[in-house]
Amino acid sequence: MATLTVPTSRTAIPGILRNRAAAKLLALAAVAAVLVPLANSHWGSNTWPHTLTVDLSHPLATASNWVIDNRDTHPLFLYGFGYVSNAVVLAVRAVYLTLLAAGWTGVTAFGALVAWRVAGVRLAAGTAIAFLTCGALGMWVPTMQTLALMVVAVLTSVAVGALLGLAAGLSDRLDRALRPVLDTMQVLPAFAYLLPVVLVFGIGVPAAVLATVVYAAPPMARLTALGLRGADPEVLEAVESLGATARQRLLTARIPLARKELLLGLNQTIMMALSMAVIASVIGAGGLGDRVYQALASVDVGAALAAGIPIVLLAVVLDRVTAAAGEGGAQPRTIGWPYVLAITVAVALATRLLGTLDWPSGWTLHIAEPVNRAVDWMTAHLYSGVPVVGGTADWAGHFTTWILDPVRGGLQWLPWWSVLLLVAALAWLIGTWRTALTAVLAMAAIGVLGVWEPSLDTLSQVLAAVAVTLVLGFAAGVAAARSDRVERALRPVLDVCQTMPQFVYLIPVVALFGVGRAPAVAAAVVYALPAVVRITAQGLRQVDPAALESARSLGATGRQQLWQIQLPLARRSLLLAANQGVVLVLAVVIIGGLVGGGALGYDVAFGLAQGDLATGLVAGAAIVCLGLMLDRVTQPTERRARKGA
Amino acid sequence: MSTTTTTTPNTPVFSVDGLWKVFGPKADRIPADAELAALDPADLRSRTGCTAAVRDVSFDVRKGEVFVVMGLSGSGKSTLVRCLTRLIEPTAGTISIDGEDVRAMDKARLRELRRHRAAMVFQHFGLLPHRTVLDNVAYGLEIQGVGKSERRERAAEFVTKVGLEGMEKRRPGQLSGGQRQRVGLARALAVDPEVLLFDEPFSALDPLIRRDMQDEVARLHREEGRTMVFITHDLSEALKLGDRIALMRDGRVVQLGTPEEIVSSPADDYVREFVRDVPREQVVTCRTAMRPASPQDPANGPAVRPDAPVAEAIEAVARAGAPARVMDEGKCVGVVDHAQLLDVVAGVAASTGAAEAADSHAAAAAGSRAAGAARVGAAAPRKRGQATPPPPRTSPEDV
Repeated sequence: MATLTVPTSRTAIPGILRNRAAAKLLALAAVAAVLVPLANSHWGSNTWPHTLTVDLSHPLATASNWVIDNRDTHPLFLYGFGYVSNAVVLAVRAVYLTLLAAGWTGVTAFGALVAWRVAGVRLAAGTAIAFLTCGALGMWVPTMQTLALMVVAVLTSVAVGALLGLAAGLSDRLDRALRPVLDTMQVLPAFAYLLPVVLVFGIGVPAAVLATVVYAAPPMARLTALGLRGADPEVLEAVESLGATARQRLLTARIPLARKELLLGLNQTIMMALSMAVIASVIGAGGLGDRVYQALASVDVGAALAAGIPIVLLAVVLDRVTAAAGEGGAQPRTIGWPYVLAITVAVALATRLLGTLDWPSGWTLHIAEPVNRAVDWMTAHLYSGVPVVGGTADWAGHFTTWILDPVRGGLQWLPWWSVLLLVAALAWLIGTWRTALTAVLAMAAIGVLGVWEPSLDTLSQVLAAVAVTLVLGFAAGVAAARSDRVERALRPVLDVCQTMPQFVYLIPVVALFGVGRAPAVAAAVVYALPAVVRITAQGLRQVDPAALESARSLGATGRQQLWQIQLPLARRSLLLAANQGVVLVLAVVIIGGLVGGGALGYDVAFGLAQGDLATGLVAGAAIVCLGLMLDRVTQPTERRARKGA
Repeated sequence: MSTTTTTTPNTPVFSVDGLWKVFGPKADRIPADAELAALDPADLRSRTGCTAAVRDVSFDVRKGEVFVVMGLSGSGKSTLVRCLTRLIEPTAGTISIDGEDVRAMDKARLRELRRHRAAMVFQHFGLLPHRTVLDNVAYGLEIQGVGKSERRERAAEFVTKVGLEGMEKRRPGQLSGGQRQRVGLARALAVDPEVLLFDEPFSALDPLIRRDMQDEVARLHREEGRTMVFITHDLSEALKLGDRIALMRDGRVVQLGTPEEIVSSPADDYVREFVRDVPREQVVTCRTAMRPASPQDPANGPAVRPDAPVAEAIEAVARAGAPARVMDEGKCVGVVDHAQLLDVVAGVAASTGAAEAADSHAAAAAGSRAAGAARVGAAAPRKRGQATPPPPRTSPEDV
């Protein structure tokens, strides 16, 4: 009510300062003019000055060793984390054994019936086929391992997320405290979460489950809070006017009204959990992710594909079924829950009596060998020396030589303070001075951590991948926005691509480009592209039709409409697309460390593989800072309007 | 004035005295400070950053009447009705229901008030989209802890009463706007409240449906005689439904009176402007328009009832070509001829009592309360259109 501000009378200011961007740059230049000579005289070097770094590896190594030494004796572990760890192991084991006891028929029947109940016949058939394919690829047991881990992780994430969301939804103060934390967690690469849990729990299933929970709970918390806060105020008022107690209001109105958001939260949590459960194979998760990881480590594309296909199928099925549950509501009842359970038990018992609980070995398709033969053929014929177009390996090589190397060289050649200045200028131009400050501090923290050089290497890959992603993504987005046919053709592709876990994208690029930095960049581009295309197309389509119509009535050509109406009006969406693109690219570039991408991702993987947690933790912290910096630099913050949203 | 009168048949259902609602920082100081309280809204906002939605409002809602609060958007009428059950916490003043202080109630007592004594119908219905029509209507009973079968049975009765039988299993999303508001109405009726509060219930509906719903409310009121507080921004709706109307502007009540008083003697230029286009002959009654009978008047000729609108008398006089007698229970209480009728249509009839009517505005609540108490049958539910003489003429009879 009292937020109306009185317009302040403006005194005359020079014309150039009226332009906000110019004013910001001038202010920044003024600050730089004072600070840069000072900094340069003290610590004049191109790379981050050594005197400004803090060597954390020694204390971290000490801490890590202390944890390892005391894990079995110290009361903190015995009575605290030990219980957590045991509980997780027991829960996963129990679910795993239940799944195995149900047998492949029982699990398939249960999945199909649940899908039928919440999403209809077509998805039920899809679910059955997906499970059977997992079995046919010889991946039944790893699939069940992943599923068991997922079930425990998702249940925990949903419980934790819903509780946090409930708290944030009901208390303004908690909401203000939680929101920035959750927002930030959302943009951090999955890899950054691995090391802290490994430090406490060691490599193994508990660490994998907890990393998954930490990664997958934020969307549930965010959406729960959003749903509770988004309830129609008049409905709540009506409920209150009838004399409802706070509890009644929550149970009969707020939670049911938030049903859509809660189910969307469940959907996102499941997808994030799957993505993380696969990545967590690096810290001992086992299951499908582990098969992919092992296969990629020996560049065995066929085996990686055999484990990758079940992951994709699982992702698609889980996504469609939970999404359908969220949209539905008025669809006819198909089958009651008691029947679902009863039929499942009956099928499982029947299979047990018939003695075919395990997937029949004769029904397994061995696709690894033919795939590997195909890849070999590709390596032989398409890698290089193809007339005119060159080979895939040639492309990767050219990309590395002509783009990645110069960008990395350029970044590392730039004096450290100029990198900070660039970050500040970009962040301030797009966002506010707050985002600029956060971005600069995050970048400086990277320097202080002593990983300036590898971080710039990662940054160079991110920049190259983002550039490619945005060029391709904007082009495809514009095409999809302007032509219904293109959109219809693209939609199913985008749907599938957006549900696939990050890890899976590594398989095809390794097949095509081998290992190195270029494949990592390619995987990042492929992973980030769907989101960019989708946001761009949506933004362009949401442009006020009246504005477009008036332009058309004035006789604007298609090109004029695009450049003068659609793109400027969709500016916010385009910035959001860029922001999402950057965040997604970073996540995969880091994972690219597993296929020769080097830099920070490699440090983390190396730290994990060698038990050198200090190196890994420092790299993980740098990843967090880099993610924070990249997100803030590209974050279009609307002025002051954001708080209430 | 005293709001703690003991329960007599004349005790108002709601009695509001000096009510303030101020939004903004340190709102409490504004009603207390005479200088700040006198500021107009723009000055108040620039001086204190506060907005006074309701300023020093006093009125009584009598048992069985339809009390309409009318004003344009931003006049504070919706805030006012929410203050009655403290859905919005008032800043200052007193509110009592049946003599009991509402502002002094604790949480449990307040819930009791909301559950049993006052139920509200909302502009945008406020229905729960995930529940069926029946369960929406039963919701108030569910909140009270009534068992499932009993509340469904009672809800079904009210679903029928508002004309929605056969739609019990539908969800609000499958209903039209008018039907949804019927659900809202049934939900409020189902808890059998002492007072029904309507917050612009029909503003979101199409004109034709709106008229249907107004008739529905009028019918319910005729049948049950339930006390209603009705908020609207639509003058014709106010005139159609209201026994008494409080006209609000910038948080203040600028005039309080029967539809006839408001139309025939507007308290100030704002009200006059407001009612300018109202067809006065439809609102003003013969009782107001008539002059005392004189011996020269013919003893025969057309007769009209005192509470008939002037339009009826115009027709009778035009047909007969002679003055009409105003007959109350077989007695001639007065006469209307061309001159009186033309005065009403031209809007000059009010000029005779304008001076007295103007100061009734200054003490709108007190004045009309005193006047109302004196009226014949004021304690009983009055029928629509029943006329009462304007204040100056009632004062001699004041008890």
